[in-house]
Amino acid sequence: MNEQGEILVIHRLLDEQILDSEGKRCGRVDDIELQGSPPRITALLVGEGLYPRRVPKRLRGLARRLAGPERWGANALRVPWERVDRIDATLHLCCKAEELGLGEGDDPERWMVRRLPWN
Amino acid sequence: MKSILKIALGIIAALGGFLDIGDLVFNTQAGALFRYDLLWAVALGTLGIAVYAEMCGRVAAVTGRPVFDVIRMRLGFGPGLVALVASTVVNLLTVAAELGGLAIILQLLFDAEFSLFVVLAAIGLVIVVALLPFGGIERIFGYCGLMMIVFVATAVHQSPDWGEVAHGFIPSLSSSKLYLYFVVGVFAAALMPYEVHFYSSGAVEEGWDKSSLRENRLNAAIGYALGGVLACALVVVSGYLFHPLGVEPGDLGTVALPAQGAYGETGLLLALGGMMFCVGGAAIDSSFSASYNLAQFLGWEWGRYRGPKIAPRFTVSWLIFLFLAMLIVLSGINPVEITEYSVVFAVVALPMTYLPILMIAGDRSFMGEHANGRISTTLGWVYFALIVVLAVAAVPLLLMTNGGGG
Repeated sequence: MNEQGEILVIHRLLDEQILDSEGKRCGRVDDIELQGSPPRITALLVGEGLYPRRVPKRLRGLARRLAGPERWGANALRVPWERVDRIDATLHLCCKAEELGLGEGDDPERWMVRRLPWN
Repeated sequence: MKSILKIALGIIAALGGFLDIGDLVFNTQAGALFRYDLLWAVALGTLGIAVYAEMCGRVAAVTGRPVFDVIRMRLGFGPGLVALVASTVVNLLTVAAELGGLAIILQLLFDAEFSLFVVLAAIGLVIVVALLPFGGIERIFGYCGLMMIVFVATAVHQSPDWGEVAHGFIPSLSSSKLYLYFVVGVFAAALMPYEVHFYSSGAVEEGWDKSSLRENRLNAAIGYALGGVLACALVVVSGYLFHPLGVEPGDLGTVALPAQGAYGETGLLLALGGMMFCVGGAAIDSSFSASYNLAQFLGWEWGRYRGPKIAPRFTVSWLIFLFLAMLIVLSGINPVEITEYSVVFAVVALPMTYLPILMIAGDRSFMGEHANGRISTTLGWVYFALIVVLAVAAVPLLLMTNGGGG
């Protein structure tokens, strides 16, 4: 991304809808991982385990108790920045959601989804 | 020619989807209590939903983003979550009100136990949604809802003093709290947010792009204007018949009576039929709206066009909303009372979803040349101010008038 793009991180990247390479909706950007100095985006963080980070400080303890701890690879996922294909009206990945564990709640292979009467 | 026909059909669908139990309850009561005095508030609410829907439809067509997608983007997680929770509570109340209303109308048509019809109505809606594609659902309820035109015919048939009717369109305020409560009520009933959330998600369901902008403008301008005529007709027929008698219509059956007075049994059946499809369609729209909002906020796959296999969480949440609404109705609360609460709380929650749309529709970096022009910007902000005033006044008025009970 260009320099101007970097200052738009919060404005354009955080909370953005994520689509995989096949156009499937597979989560939103719940947080952003920055490393180095000057900081560069190294990954997008996705998952309901990250929601407590996003509520005001005073409510964070309560939210953490409701949502449970962040479990990496389960309710908190890391999408390496290299997997981002392009950002236009939404954010497109260059791989399928399953490769990163995204969109598992809609995955027909999951036991709960498999048991639905129409599957 | 084909595109004109398509647009005309789209307008009819929009028109049929405009009226719901909120309009039936509030407009009929407003007519009975204040004759034609509140017609201006109906017109104001109708223009409001046309402005809001046009913006949402335009944002969806240009960026592919429906309302709650935009809300999460613009408000962020925390405030967006507050908007989501508020909208979901209102939507759930609305689904319950529409479902209860549907059961009452079915009961009037085919005399049997109320609770049986509540369950049958819910099952019927699931079957309709399971069998029909998105466009089919929208059209069936839209076209059949047109039976409501019988109320316009009834108004003409009654031949009221048209000068007096026209006078009702001149805004007037009074110090009567009951009058002010009904100003909020009929305005809010015309401007139910779920209608707009459904409309913008529907635009994505139907694959709108920039070439749909004309259709969007016409839907908003003509579809909602015609819907407004139907909404005004409800006030006029009730004002003509019930106001002089001092009758206060407390149930849905009374709403249909003026049509019976004018056209006998045929009129009554048309009125009840039209009401059934309007309220049934609104039950689907509001329940879809609840799961659209949830799925869009959380980034799930969503949409009737995706089907239950690709969007299982969206489908399951829809079934859960419908089931919870059914439980609320079966708990024995009067559906007319649920309607009043759903309409009043809808206007309280409205600013939270209206503001982000107004902001993004005016944002050139998102909308390019299709961003709000001078007229849309002015109207948009005038309505935002109006909505905020009504949102603040709504709950105190509800409490002071004891829910319109005086």
